[in-house]
Amino acid sequence: MQVELTHFLVVSTLLFSMGVFAIVTRKNAILVLMGIELMLNAANINFVAFSKFGGFGLSGQVIALFVIILAAAEAAIALAIVLNIYKTFSNVNVDEINNLKE
Amino acid sequence: MNYENLYSSLSLIQPEITISVFLLLIVVADLIFDKNKALIPFLALAGLIIASVQVILQVTNTGYAFPFSDVYLSRKGMVTVDAFGAFFKLIIIISSFILVYFSYVSDEIKKSEKNLGEYYALIFGMILGMFFLSSASDLILIYVALELLSLSSYVLAGFSKLRTRNSEASLKYLIYGATSSGLMLFGISIFYGLSGTTNLYEINTFLASHQINHLTLSFASILIFAGIGYKISSVPFHFWTPDVYEGAPISITAYLSVASKAAGFALLVRFIKSAFVTSDDSLGYWEILSVFDWHSLLILVSILTMTLGNLTALWQNNIKRMLAYSSIAHAGYMLLGVAVLSNQGLVAVLIYFFFYLFMNLGAFFIVMLIANKTGSEEIDDYNGLGYTSPFLGVALTLFMVALIGLPPTAGFIGKLYLFIALVDAQMITVAIIALLNTVIALYYYIRVLKHMFLTKSTVETQTVSVIRPNIIFIIFMLAPVLIFGVYFGPVVDFAKRCVQILGL
Amino acid sequence: MSLYDIIFYLFALLVLVSAFITVTSKNIVHSAFSLMFTLFGVAGIYVLLGADFLGVVQLLVYVGGILILMIFGVMMTNEITNVDIKTGTTQVVPAIIGVGLFAGALTSMMLRTGWNSQPSENMDTTTYAIGKLLLTEYVLIFELLGMLLLVALIGAASVARKEKE
Repeated sequence: MQVELTHFLVVSTLLFSMGVFAIVTRKNAILVLMGIELMLNAANINFVAFSKFGGFGLSGQVIALFVIILAAAEAAIALAIVLNIYKTFSNVNVDEINNLKE
Repeated sequence: MNYENLYSSLSLIQPEITISVFLLLIVVADLIFDKNKALIPFLALAGLIIASVQVILQVTNTGYAFPFSDVYLSRKGMVTVDAFGAFFKLIIIISSFILVYFSYVSDEIKKSEKNLGEYYALIFGMILGMFFLSSASDLILIYVALELLSLSSYVLAGFSKLRTRNSEASLKYLIYGATSSGLMLFGISIFYGLSGTTNLYEINTFLASHQINHLTLSFASILIFAGIGYKISSVPFHFWTPDVYEGAPISITAYLSVASKAAGFALLVRFIKSAFVTSDDSLGYWEILSVFDWHSLLILVSILTMTLGNLTALWQNNIKRMLAYSSIAHAGYMLLGVAVLSNQGLVAVLIYFFFYLFMNLGAFFIVMLIANKTGSEEIDDYNGLGYTSPFLGVALTLFMVALIGLPPTAGFIGKLYLFIALVDAQMITVAIIALLNTVIALYYYIRVLKHMFLTKSTVETQTVSVIRPNIIFIIFMLAPVLIFGVYFGPVVDFAKRCVQILGL
Repeated sequence: MSLYDIIFYLFALLVLVSAFITVTSKNIVHSAFSLMFTLFGVAGIYVLLGADFLGVVQLLVYVGGILILMIFGVMMTNEITNVDIKTGTTQVVPAIIGVGLFAGALTSMMLRTGWNSQPSENMDTTTYAIGKLLLTEYVLIFELLGMLLLVALIGAASVARKEKE
């Protein structure tokens, strides 16, 4: 079977769904962040695939580039906050951190 | 893009440039004045003053900046400077001024005075993001600006690290924020795949002229709404709000509840209007493309948002948490104004937001003064406060009355215009639901007043003395709430002037 | 089936299998390492799509930067010797059903949509064109990203600093 746009879209959709799955089921903050990275990668595959198969020029690739940069910035801040939390609570499980709920 | 284009584009984003320059200046000043940080708030004020002049000029000086030149030959660009964007930028600027004073007074921020440089740099990062959000007409620019706003506010929510709950607020904010922006990005990628562009005007032209799969488009629109809904904390993307509002420093909480919400609303309205609306009819109702039913979605979301916000606020014992839920409810009312999908509804939203700015920030300011003194934000600790500190008691009462929406305060005018817009659009049922919600809201606001004036305190209530600058500041916040409650003509005229969104 | 197709299926399999391990593994270290294979596979897919520059950036930034950050995070928040780190999951069964339905619906929706289809000619290299786009059409976003990285730097430093009482 000739590989076409839909093949790439199936990969990205499944990747996206797995990202959602990780966010829904995981308790560990770092694992949730990994799920978010999967979602961003799925969207990036979409951008690149659409721009190639739709004939939209290179804009999709430039957008994917921006997203990679944003993901790096977000990951840096996220990890800093997670480590900071770890220093205060000594665990990074999202569910166990609930001082705020009365 | 030729140079002529670039110069005219740059002249249209002057406020953003000013904010960027002052962000850099603050970073540099932070390095130079290592010991004494007293100068930095004034540097921030200077930046805000210059930016506010430039924003006011934008009410009349409108246009498109950064036009696409390569693939699609369009006169319309990435940034749309118009009166509508200028209105929301003004709201952001006013709340930033107030924030600077908030931070100056707040004990939480004073304790980490060494880090004031970082604090203001991050706030200017937020302002830059919000400015671009209020005038962006390109989905990628929207995404980047949203991330800029979010990244700065994640850090600010956990800024004062003296209490553990601040970092907790930070983590919750980040997890929910990163998730919803991930969803939004996937939605943007689908829009890009369908239309081949990320420019809202191009998308509009494309949607109007092509047959597309409605299901896919609806899915993508809902994903994008997830990103926006997170910023305005509408159901079901509101989970972070109470925790973050309670955990963050009060100054940041107050700022998030007004400025970041304003940017979210500006984005929502511009997204719908630029990408889905073809024209206004003679009565000011928007002719919306039939590809996605924004009307039903917005009505559903707004009713859920206000009802959930109001009902949950009833059980809260922490006043910051209560104000958080009440701010969710207010977002619900304002979403109704957007759901009308007409210029009249939009005017109502603008008026409502302008008044909400003063009454909400005023209430937070008094909560902060009391927390500075007593160290408590529990409603039970407000017992008898109306007698020991009558000025604060009366002022908080007036802000609460305005938040309920009773005359003669400005809150009443905001709600009045909203209900008139709803009734004119034949949305009577929705208007009745909103009215019932206001009645529920009455209960939990009154409860605070009851604690202040009627409940006898079992322990000695501390007297919260207010220094003169704070009294002047509170009067300055009260004045618009009371004056515009009676004399609201200018605000309404200004709002009517500012509903013009370029691009139709 | 051409060579291109075979390579695509190999990469797609790599991405999906390693992503599956990432989201299901009980061991957080395994998750982190299989995420590396996912990101590597995505870089491969970019190259297959004619985005050579992007593939390299993906390797540099994601595999070389973000993933290292994550692994540092894992190692600093859990004792690495303790292999059986509890990474408990919540409501797995409803989540599997829900996400499975979601994935099925989403996939069928994506397959049914009539996308724009006019494949562009294969370009030999994209770096020059991307660089040009960055400084013309996307110059505003490019500059804004510069500000964003500065803010992220300040923010991360501000979070990581020690609080002296």
